[in-house]
Amino acid sequence: MDVLLQLKNFSYTYSETKAAVLQGINLEIEAGRCYCLTGPTGSGKTTLALAMKGLLEKDGCSGEVVGPDPSDHGDFRVGLVLQNPETQLLATSVGAEVAFGLENLCVEPGRMLARVEAALSLVDLRKPLDYPVARLSMGQKYRLLIAALLVMEPQLLILDEPAAQLDPEGLAAVHDILSDLKGRGVAVVLCEHHPGPFLDLVDRFWQLDGSGRLSAGRWRASLMPSDSTVSKTAGGYSVAPVLLGVRDLAFTGHGDVPVWEEVCFDIRRGQRVVVTGLNGTGKTTLLRVLAGFLKPSRGRVRIFDAEPDPRLLRRRLGCLFQNPQKQIFENTVREELAFPLKRLGWSSREIPSRIEDTLRLCGIEHLVDDSPHKLSYGQKHLVAIASVLAPAPEMLFLDDPFAGLDGARQQDVMEILASWNREREMTLVWTSHDPGEIPSLADGHLHIEGGCIGWR
Amino acid sequence: MAGDRFSRLHTTLARGSHHDNRPDKGIPLPVGVKMLLALTLSCLAFLARTETFLGMVTAANLLVFVLLRPQGVSWWRQGRLFVFQTTVIVVLYILRFGSLAGVRDGLLISWQLFLAFWPTMVFAKTTSQAKIVRAMNRIMPSRMSFVMATCLKFAPHLLEEVRDIYEGQVLRGARILPKDLARPWNWPDLVHCVVVPAVVQGMALAGNIALAARVRDFGLHSRRTCWPGD
Repeated sequence: MDVLLQLKNFSYTYSETKAAVLQGINLEIEAGRCYCLTGPTGSGKTTLALAMKGLLEKDGCSGEVVGPDPSDHGDFRVGLVLQNPETQLLATSVGAEVAFGLENLCVEPGRMLARVEAALSLVDLRKPLDYPVARLSMGQKYRLLIAALLVMEPQLLILDEPAAQLDPEGLAAVHDILSDLKGRGVAVVLCEHHPGPFLDLVDRFWQLDGSGRLSAGRWRASLMPSDSTVSKTAGGYSVAPVLLGVRDLAFTGHGDVPVWEEVCFDIRRGQRVVVTGLNGTGKTTLLRVLAGFLKPSRGRVRIFDAEPDPRLLRRRLGCLFQNPQKQIFENTVREELAFPLKRLGWSSREIPSRIEDTLRLCGIEHLVDDSPHKLSYGQKHLVAIASVLAPAPEMLFLDDPFAGLDGARQQDVMEILASWNREREMTLVWTSHDPGEIPSLADGHLHIEGGCIGWR
Repeated sequence: MAGDRFSRLHTTLARGSHHDNRPDKGIPLPVGVKMLLALTLSCLAFLARTETFLGMVTAANLLVFVLLRPQGVSWWRQGRLFVFQTTVIVVLYILRFGSLAGVRDGLLISWQLFLAFWPTMVFAKTTSQAKIVRAMNRIMPSRMSFVMATCLKFAPHLLEEVRDIYEGQVLRGARILPKDLARPWNWPDLVHCVVVPAVVQGMALAGNIALAARVRDFGLHSRRTCWPGD
């Protein structure tokens, strides 16, 4: 097999930190093979992907990155799909998006059309070239991104955590594309916590251990919370009062197309309900309607025996939207937790003990005086959750709270939520883009499909 | 329904925040001409010093609007922004001059400002990103034209980020609902827990976009060719 890329004793340190993110990495990538890079959140998978693409600052690098002999392979190109497709799609139409790389390579405009059409055909995205990118589903956007890289004819394609963004349908489509690319001799590297959907493609696993060292093998998170942990949570909901009642609810989106309609369900105190659905089915919209931030086009929502009004709900409902780190703004973790307590009327005498209790229950009491902005991705996630939990809301909405977290961090979050549910009867409603993986934490499952929402 | 006004505002934001590439229905003017027209009308709005002049600029804008027929204009959003802007300006003028004499001047200034930005909106609604980049490539370095076009594209995305931050902070107790903001002593909350995180998010977004562009070899050559489609 042809070796396309070698890293020899490669190390990297970000200029703002002292510890090396990657240490003494040695690896070889061969044409037509698929590699899976595993490791906990924040272990340096994306940094290693950037190293392979040659996008790291030279100052922080040591060791060697060796490409193939140009006489054998011509221009060696690496394609890299980063985590969030939304911030990587730079044009407004499908054709312009795919052609972006060709524009950068100064390809003659007359030669672009055929290459763009060929790349779109490789990912089986059959849309007119002037079709608006904004109207594509998340799965289609991801395929468009892959096409936008394939048009540049890379010999190595790296995908950074596709499972964090894609639903099972989208993952299946990407699986087929990767299988085809392998057959054409393109090497593939997947940086992935959950390689499940791609297992049959993977020829070799690597793992980063969290200290920057790479070894052969697959990193696995410790087990998910046992059923015994969850079984201790609050029960007997059938007699508990209804906190959230929805009748004949409908919401109309762009172009007067209903997102979902005729929605009816009740959620009782202490219940733990997961709302699943493929990308773009309206899970976030549902939470925003239930919280009173969006007005439904028809129907009725009763939450805490009243119509949803953010002004009245802010003492009783907590809400954590996607990527919760973006709500962080204070200078220390203590201040971050103190903010909602002050605003929601807790006395200055109660606040310190409340902060201490919450941080202890979330297992991050040691971070109390740290700057939340300098914490790892997983720690920031926990701080954001702690700041929502601190005022002890009766009900908590979480929008895809496990996306982007490795198994161990997911377990941390689930255990925190389970303990608050158990000890305070806090009602939980959260969304997930993977209907196939329902955490044992859930005791109710609402599924969105074809514009309908129903219990499963 | 309690909170209706608030919900309506957000529904409008949610529906209007996606750039819509509907086909042009107006007369197909070259991009350079449209750009020049927008620039001229905006400059004229700033130069207008009399009601007659402003009336003529308004008429010219109406004519351009009818000819170009932009699709997807949110009248509710534009109207709301105008009312908000006018209210602030008129109140400031009344405070400055201490009498209702400031109302007329305040209204004129507000209309002038509105007309300064309106042509750009019409231009953006009737011209695809690829065409804008192609036109700008002729008069400025390709890097700069890419940055300008990308700013236009990602403005709605940033707006959505700000909306998420805003809604999350409301339920964390921040006093930033429209009624709260009627009391000036709540304004620091808006700056502290929405503007600051929004700026951080904006910078992160800029970093992510720059990385995404570099991933596709943006900057490899000093000049770029242009996609002939759209």
